[in-house]
Amino acid sequence: MKNNSSYLRLGFIVAVAWMALIGLAIDGFCGHEEGVKALFQQAMGPWHDPLAATIAGALPADITQVHETYNGRPFWTQTRKDKVTRFKCSQCHDGRTVTAENAAAVAHGDIVLDHGGAKPLSCFTCHKDNPRDQFETEKGVTIDMDHVYELCGQCHFRQKSDWIGGAHGKRLDHWAGQRVVANCTSCHNPHSPVFKKRWPATYSLPLDEP
Amino acid sequence: MKPLQPSCSTTLSESPDADKTRGRRDFLKGALQLAALCGTAALTGCEPGGRFGLQWQEFFKKNYRLMTPLEKEATVQRLEQLAKLRRGIDIHISAAEPVKEVLFGYAFNLTRCEGFMECVQACVRENNLDRKSKTQYIRIFELEPGQMSPESGNGQYFHEVPVNGHFYMGIQCFHCQNAPCVKACPTKATWMEPDGIVVVDYDWCIGCRYCMAACPYWGRRFNWNEPYVPKEEITLKQHYLGNRLRSRGMMEKCTFCIQRSRDGQLPACAAACPTGARVFGNLLDPDSEIRFVLKHKKVFRLKEDLGTEPKFWFFVD
Repeated sequence: MKNNSSYLRLGFIVAVAWMALIGLAIDGFCGHEEGVKALFQQAMGPWHDPLAATIAGALPADITQVHETYNGRPFWTQTRKDKVTRFKCSQCHDGRTVTAENAAAVAHGDIVLDHGGAKPLSCFTCHKDNPRDQFETEKGVTIDMDHVYELCGQCHFRQKSDWIGGAHGKRLDHWAGQRVVANCTSCHNPHSPVFKKRWPATYSLPLDEP
Repeated sequence: MKPLQPSCSTTLSESPDADKTRGRRDFLKGALQLAALCGTAALTGCEPGGRFGLQWQEFFKKNYRLMTPLEKEATVQRLEQLAKLRRGIDIHISAAEPVKEVLFGYAFNLTRCEGFMECVQACVRENNLDRKSKTQYIRIFELEPGQMSPESGNGQYFHEVPVNGHFYMGIQCFHCQNAPCVKACPTKATWMEPDGIVVVDYDWCIGCRYCMAACPYWGRRFNWNEPYVPKEEITLKQHYLGNRLRSRGMMEKCTFCIQRSRDGQLPACAAACPTGARVFGNLLDPDSEIRFVLKHKKVFRLKEDLGTEPKFWFFVD
């Protein structure tokens, strides 16, 4: 019995040592990356963009600087207030009772609220009585409508962090120069944010036919 | 215009001892060609700036990589003049060099693509692709969860998208760092530029389609017929290695819209995508969007085991 267990112990030690050796070998020979991955992983310094000056002249006017940065770099997004046709809200919603007939249907009848799935949102999840012309987070922080990503990001925080880095959302026009990205509501209708089914823009023929 | 046979180019090579090695047969061949062409020229009227003179000079130009900046400028001007004479359009062809410290990379979000194919349409229009044979650089495949390769997907879907329980995968030239098509080309008509774009010198391509057979990603397209683009739909901003008008018997492929990307613009597909599934940028810029995706997302490349090192990643949210 005693012999058996000492053999076992010896075997165990040998096995562990062998695995450690293999581990070291893998680290030593295969630890470094090759190919494209090595190329870009070595490029850590900031890139000095030679195109920035020419692109700066071609930037759209309706952009605003985002209150967030990625890697300490500022970026810009599309403004939204100028695209809301009935802005400012307080033109009608000024605290008095609206007396016009069917006013709600006439002013906002086109809005279909389909946001939140099984737990649908209401108008008042985002729009508040006070302030009328801004949004307000659940914490009570007032948000300008141009910075609507701060409102959406309360629930969609994962999408927001992807958007800040560039994995969610869409950069506009240029890959170089000042980074300008689409705002949340540039692409998504906030009242029914899922993209609707539609026909594709074109179609493909089989590849192997000349 | 391109040389009729590879031997023409060797006859006219620039090496100093070309005269010594030129055989009697080559000399006779050249002399005959010259005589024939001069005869035609005499018949058609050969003024130096005329169509024939331009075609003549185009016929004997060098491979793009061997041209000096002045020669590049000259051929670009000739092509612009020829387009004016042949089709009556004012195109602008650029020979812009790669931007320094740039290596282009692309990422495709499989979660976000809904199969709307706006990218395909934008690409066809931007790159002056043949409308008759419906040539497309980009293919979108409809796949079911669990499928990982477009080979098992549906590349010819035509119905309302997105279909529940399906995802969409876009395939185009992946601009491999270790590109098999470049190795296969017998005339060195295709190569990788310093900014990572694999390009074709259309005038140096002999149309053998070896590269098409070598590409494991179905990235290359061949012009079986003279491509047809309606005059009013021709994209006038062109690049020598990009979307300039091709003719029959030439190989072509996605160039990451070299005429746009070297000016800092996004390729047409990335600019047209309505869902933001396409990310394009500089791999050597640690703050770029493409580097964010590679750092923070689960990415993979197609057929990575082949060692072709494509610069095109797929990722999921």
